[in-house]
Amino acid sequence: MGRRLFTLLFTGLLAVPVLAAVPKVAPDITLTALSGESIRIADLKGQVVLLDFWASWCIPCRRSFPEVDALHRELQPKGLTVIAVNVDEQQKNAYTFLEKYPHTMTVAFDPKGAAAQAFDLQAMPSSMIVDRRGRIRFTHEGYTDKTISQFRSEVLQLIAEGE
Amino acid sequence: MAFKTRLLMALTLVSALLLGTGCATVQPWQRGLLADSCMVFDANNSAAYMTHWQESREGSAGGFGVQGGGCGCK
Repeated sequence: MGRRLFTLLFTGLLAVPVLAAVPKVAPDITLTALSGESIRIADLKGQVVLLDFWASWCIPCRRSFPEVDALHRELQPKGLTVIAVNVDEQQKNAYTFLEKYPHTMTVAFDPKGAAAQAFDLQAMPSSMIVDRRGRIRFTHEGYTDKTISQFRSEVLQLIAEGE
Repeated sequence: MAFKTRLLMALTLVSALLLGTGCATVQPWQRGLLADSCMVFDANNSAAYMTHWQESREGSAGGFGVQGGGCGCK
């Protein structure tokens, strides 16, 4: 009995890192885009999605926002969808930021932080790359010199994986 | 111990426990107000000049802790 229990516990402990490595399915949330349309994350299955959480008060976002937009322009034809999710509680601050930083990628708003909570954000900025099956495959916290090239290679890898 | 003192102690303890539940963690996406420049202790930034002066004089650049207004940005 004791031996069986030990084996069970031991196997369970071995399974922990394996289970932790299994990609999580992206939460099924709906965001409102700058254009007014609703974006349901679950409806984006079949596309590689880069979700970039940003805020007007977040200093690294002043650098990441235009660079992520450039990546969007570069990789959209290959199958990348970028959604820049703004978490400003005061939306007027986001509008002021957007006037300064022209963009072509989709911008959505999450003023109450529902999406941020669902994605369990630990830092600002945070980005998640979701594969065609709707699973979060890569998560990035913060923004450094290397982040954009990591985004590019990870997105290209997921695009190459196909359906 | 007098009844009044005990009552006072009990009330203080209960109030502390009740107030304790009011504490909440500020999430990373809720730090807009904390990141505002008005939240910096030294609003006119004189400490920055003092630090710069001291760093030059003492050859101790980078020895004065971290910078930032509390947004928790990485």
